[in-house]
Amino acid sequence: MAETKKKILGIVCERSVDLKKHIQKNRLKDKDNVSIVELTCSGMIQPIMLEEAFKQGAEGVFVMGCQIGDCHFREGNKWCQERLLGQRPPNIKKTVDKNKVRGYWLAKCDYKKFLDKVSKFEEDLNNVNS
Amino acid sequence: MYKKALDKLQVLTIDFEKFLNKIFSQQYNPFYYHGAVPNLFMWTLFITGLLLFAYFQPTLDSAYISVNYISTKIPFGQIVRGLHRYAADAMMIAVLIHAIRVFFTDRYRKYRWIAWYSGVALLLCMLVIGITGYVLVWDERSYMIVLMMADALKQIPLIGYPLAKLFVNGEVVTHYTMAMSFFIHVGISFFLLYLLWLHYVRISRPVIDVPLGLGLLLFSLIIIPSALIPVLSGKPAVLTQTPHEFPVDWFYLWIFPLFSGMPALIVWTGLFVAVAILLLVPYLIVDIPKSPAAVSLDNCVGCTLCAKDCPYEAIYMVPRTDHPKYKQLAIVIDSRCAECGLCVGACAFKAIDLPQKHSKEIIAKIGDVLKEPVGAGA
Repeated sequence: MAETKKKILGIVCERSVDLKKHIQKNRLKDKDNVSIVELTCSGMIQPIMLEEAFKQGAEGVFVMGCQIGDCHFREGNKWCQERLLGQRPPNIKKTVDKNKVRGYWLAKCDYKKFLDKVSKFEEDLNNVNS
Repeated sequence: MYKKALDKLQVLTIDFEKFLNKIFSQQYNPFYYHGAVPNLFMWTLFITGLLLFAYFQPTLDSAYISVNYISTKIPFGQIVRGLHRYAADAMMIAVLIHAIRVFFTDRYRKYRWIAWYSGVALLLCMLVIGITGYVLVWDERSYMIVLMMADALKQIPLIGYPLAKLFVNGEVVTHYTMAMSFFIHVGISFFLLYLLWLHYVRISRPVIDVPLGLGLLLFSLIIIPSALIPVLSGKPAVLTQTPHEFPVDWFYLWIFPLFSGMPALIVWTGLFVAVAILLLVPYLIVDIPKSPAAVSLDNCVGCTLCAKDCPYEAIYMVPRTDHPKYKQLAIVIDSRCAECGLCVGACAFKAIDLPQKHSKEIIAKIGDVLKEPVGAGA
């Protein structure tokens, strides 16, 4: 696994897991193959953003918002989750491989859980391609 | 400093809720329904209140008798009466938790000010309803409440005396006193509905119902006590004897021990200051100026997706005549906009965007971030 570090992009709600301490130059300090882009709320994530990420060479994209039921803006993470599941327009294009997309719903202080999930994602990505 | 403390409190709340998630699961966590729980108790109060209304006689002579008649003679009367009492206490607890949670999680100010203000009004109305509710039983406590409240009201300068006269409905306690308390108790209860409308007005799809399982659990919290610990009246009030002590319901009658401990004017001033602080609290934090979402006339196709997704009813669709093909246009009401970007996520046509955090910038950033080779950052 060490030699094939997948390029992963995280589009992250700034109110979910607090990454400010763990980021250097838009990358996770603990995993330098993981880039992070923060925005106001996971509900702001457009399907185009996922498409763009894959177009720009990401090999896996995860989306992270707060725990379902606890969005600061009431419904953002719910909408985002439904969009990832294909239940809410605008839909993600079929060209996007859903095996390479993940959605995490974690609270501010869940950094450890977050790292575990990302590691699991890396493993999954390696398995998909092999 | 103040902001940092609030951040700490927010983390504390989240930690506590994570712990509750382990017990209740995310779907049934009562804290994720903190606004719906008071609502459950409120409807319990309305329904049990309606049932009590059927047998209650609001006169000095028969109030006490009719309340006891409900307790002893009417089938399940004791339980309905108990529910009415315990639901009131439960509602106060739930409301306080609701208020504290929105405060701790920073969800009470800016575009939510109307919910905060109507919430303060709702809380005050609840206190008035609670106090007058205790008058209706017309035991010694009720009599004492009337006397103390009338005395305390008289201490307010200028409007105090008329207020006291209004509350007692005359110079001395008569049948009309009971009628007035009954009117206030029931009348303001219905006024709650108007305030609740204000409370919800800028919220799309407010969560006002708890899931069935959670509802039953919470309901059992009030129906079990009302069956096991029956609510009883004290000794009947006798107008010629002034009572000296009464059991205090700390959720609604806390003001009376204060009245007996210090001059009423100080208590009123304290209450006034407390309300003023509550109303000022949303403005203690200074924010960066607002930059609400903006619609691009050229790109909007009138698909209504943003209006449907907006959680604050800030986006409306209006008819459009300037375009040959598209018949509708999204309009943002600036004062309601929370700048959350949910509309941006809902738009597939790049037609609505936050000026400060444009989706174009985010997409550009995605590109930039991915261009850097792996290992460059560390």
